[in-house]
Amino acid sequence: MLKNRRQSVNRPPTPDLTDDRAKVPTLQEVINIKLIESGEKEQLMELVREKLTDCGWKDEMETIVRAYIKKQGRNNVTLDELVRVITPKGRASIPDSIKAELLQRIRTFLVSAAL
Amino acid sequence: NMFFVTLVKFPMSIVVCVQLALHVFGDLLDSITVDVASECHRIARLGLERNLDEEEEELRLSAQARARIADPSNNVEANGKYVVDIFGQTHPPVANEIFDCMNCGRSIMAGRFAPHLEKCMGKGRKARLKATRSSTAAQNRYSRGSPVSTYSPYSSTASINRLSNGNPRAATGECSNGTVEEP
Repeated sequence: MLKNRRQSVNRPPTPDLTDDRAKVPTLQEVINIKLIESGEKEQLMELVREKLTDCGWKDEMETIVRAYIKKQGRNNVTLDELVRVITPKGRASIPDSIKAELLQRIRTFLVSAAL
Repeated sequence: NMFFVTLVKFPMSIVVCVQLALHVFGDLLDSITVDVASECHRIARLGLERNLDEEEEELRLSAQARARIADPSNNVEANGKYVVDIFGQTHPPVANEIFDCMNCGRSIMAGRFAPHLEKCMGKGRKARLKATRSSTAAQNRYSRGSPVSTYSPYSSTASINRLSNGNPRAATGECSNGTVEEP
């Protein structure tokens, strides 16, 4: 397949028309649906948000973003750029205790969802 | 390699569960990251973060001003009206903006306004001294204050302030007169 145009959006390749009928949702998709339908996803989001704010993670990320914006000029930054800037740092600086607690809670949900 | 060791030692379902949990957690984290970036992006693009540009501009201006002060050639008063202030501006010795007197409506030069107003509202010392000498003048002072509730210092209808005796006196000109209403 020729790709002589640079893609501006990251998109998975268009699926072939032939296996449209046999489409099976992935395990991840199934779990995601269960999370949303049960309301657990929203609860988890709030929980994570709260914990990350309390421990200063959010402020740390905001500081990094603001420094980057100041350097680049405030009209010279895209949202994608900013997300790319803080994603690796963000993942790396999650406190272990928060990560462990959240993972535990998610695993519990997965087990109950599987039953 | 931990992955293969795990595969051998633990049932597949547990591995899958852990992987799924990590994936879900990663998802949550990504959402929150996007939120944080998005909020900062919005504030930056809307210019709501006032500190950023203003601080830099102020620093720049004050550095400039300091440089100008340090330069001796700017401060010589012998230049007369070409004295330069710290922002590099020159000012004429008499303020030359022209506006309308709110009392009589005439066009007055700013630098000449104070003396004009003295005469316009009844000259400070001379007129008042003359007035207090005669008793009728004292009566005049109290009856003069017909309450003009629509009096506005900035209105151009100066005729409101003229009294029947023809002398332009502001209704709120003298504080000793207690009958005047302030707007």
